[in-house]
Amino acid sequence: MRVHLCSFIWLLLLSFLPSFATKPAKAEILPWSSAPLNSISDLETIQSRIQNSFLKVKKSVVSVEAEDGAGSGVVVSPEGLILTAAHVIGQSGREMKVIFEDGSEAQAVSLGGSEISDAGMLKLINTVPEFYVPIAKSSKSEVGDWCFALGHPNGFDQERGLVLRVGRVIRKKEETMQTDCRLLGGDSGGPLFSMDGEVIGIHSRISQDPEANFHTTIESFHSNWDYFVNEELHTFQSMQSGGFLGVYCEESSDGLLVLEVVPGTPAEKAGLLSGDLLTHLDGNLLDTREKLTILVSSQNPGSKVVLDYSRQSREVSVRLELSERNSLE
Amino acid sequence: MKAQITASFLLFGFAFFLVGESRENHDSLPSNLRLNGDSITKILGENKEEILQTSVGVFRNDKLIAQGIIVDSAGYILSKASSSVGARTIRTLEDQSFPIRIRKRDERTDLALWQVMGPPKSWETVQWADLNQSTELGMWSASAGADLDKIKLGVISANPRVILREGGVMGVLLEDLNISTTGIPITEVLPHSSGDRAGLKIKDRILKVDGRKIKSTGQINQLMQEKDPGDLLTLRINRKGKEMDIRITLGHRSVGFDLFNRNLMMSGPVSKRRDHFPFVIQNDLPLEKEMMGGGLFNLQGRCIGINIARVDRVTNYTLPYPIIAPVLNTWLKGLR
Repeated sequence: MRVHLCSFIWLLLLSFLPSFATKPAKAEILPWSSAPLNSISDLETIQSRIQNSFLKVKKSVVSVEAEDGAGSGVVVSPEGLILTAAHVIGQSGREMKVIFEDGSEAQAVSLGGSEISDAGMLKLINTVPEFYVPIAKSSKSEVGDWCFALGHPNGFDQERGLVLRVGRVIRKKEETMQTDCRLLGGDSGGPLFSMDGEVIGIHSRISQDPEANFHTTIESFHSNWDYFVNEELHTFQSMQSGGFLGVYCEESSDGLLVLEVVPGTPAEKAGLLSGDLLTHLDGNLLDTREKLTILVSSQNPGSKVVLDYSRQSREVSVRLELSERNSLE
Repeated sequence: MKAQITASFLLFGFAFFLVGESRENHDSLPSNLRLNGDSITKILGENKEEILQTSVGVFRNDKLIAQGIIVDSAGYILSKASSSVGARTIRTLEDQSFPIRIRKRDERTDLALWQVMGPPKSWETVQWADLNQSTELGMWSASAGADLDKIKLGVISANPRVILREGGVMGVLLEDLNISTTGIPITEVLPHSSGDRAGLKIKDRILKVDGRKIKSTGQINQLMQEKDPGDLLTLRINRKGKEMDIRITLGHRSVGFDLFNRNLMMSGPVSKRRDHFPFVIQNDLPLEKEMMGGGLFNLQGRCIGINIARVDRVTNYTLPYPIIAPVLNTWLKGLR
């Protein structure tokens, strides 16, 4: 009898542990269960919202002509900033042709971006855009949201026009989200919209499963906006020679949660532990994992940085020296 | 006491299972809630049953090759002509098979009318949408799934338009000759092209196409322009002094000339004939090429057209009802 009771309590404790560790206990309503669809008129409401938004946004969507293929993009500012995919621009400072939905053409130059999230930016040259679309605030889109994708699959075709796809957000984690909007080559860099016509993502990769394609999150653009506008394209290649910290983290609402500290790295020397929440690097808010990577690896090895983190609700600030990435095997 | 503990243990195990589930769910939308999940398609209710009830699978040697819809209570089935070639039977929602025979075929629309043979029976027929039913961009539309067990949902996804003929290709390069009395030599056979599959070889000289004597390269190009991918030709060739006939099924331009067309590779099987239509509407439904010939329906279960080509993984073409109506009505009037 005692034995039974004992094992029961142990299991209880053990089983609860992981859920405490990863998610603070809270009574949560799953986002997609808040407004289930019940009738044909619910579907018709989605249809009319998407149709209205489509008419508002379509003139801002462009086809982007690269030397080795074609992608898509979307104008998001009166200055002519265009959001697209990193693999569409390829590099910074490249002149590219964009084609609007009505067939009119303009020149643009590629700015920065990041191969981590596949976010990329272009800017129109000598052209003031007639139309541009709003972008969603961070954390506005979530799993279960209805959305629509626009783009030029297989390249620009005036007769066919823009191609619309409708679906739902099926996953969203760190710098990537997935939807069941169907995509194809040429869609890359095209916008994913909320039903209200705000950009919530940029088409990045298509998956083997035609009903689970990948998009860069708008959060990735928000988090690194100034870097993308003013700096280079952040590539995996350039990361190799940049500074190195030595932590694996995961995004949380309070900062970057350290999952693992790599032995022999600046992170370990500075005393970081798994469970710490990284909040700022040199005063820059660490709201995405990608931002930490970009901030660290765009500095030279040997640079000194100030890292703010919180450990068990206690704020700590530490000064550390970045190492070379290849300093460990 | 013992019983009570066992009960708590089970309950707890169940609760733990739920915690695990909900965390899993938090990462990823359960499949029944996705666009083509059961919880969405079941919303169509009776309209869904009506769509499935009036759709049939079209079979050749027990292999599903196309879909069709029942267009007349006497048992007439409308399908895609080039996909349903050689069809023997149809299968209904109730999983019953019936033999069929071809009655009409129209090259321009790629439609075919089949008749169910056997004892008379009154068939439930498809309800057509109004001729002036709008099919504007973004409109929900639905089709029957491959096994008639599910509904596939999507939207009208691009401008309606004419699809021009691209012409069929053999996937070979020819020597450019203005006049030749000894045929036109092949200078290159593209790997995996229809010419390759048909067994054409470099230095083969094309003497005749479908019995017509060939005197110039331009003449062959002209003939190809008037053919569609999927068309079967007979070539009379001279290989090392020996004359022989070779049968070749023409391929699609994008396959012949852009061998590494990644988009086509990512798309999976597509319809052989996917160009040269008088007018189509485009949709993004997740359909397979064996589902062509089936109907495209609005949410009310009314048929707005026939899916006439799977083009790639984001594109299907549908012949709208106003294009179908004159062809079908003429056929049915003649048969009744």
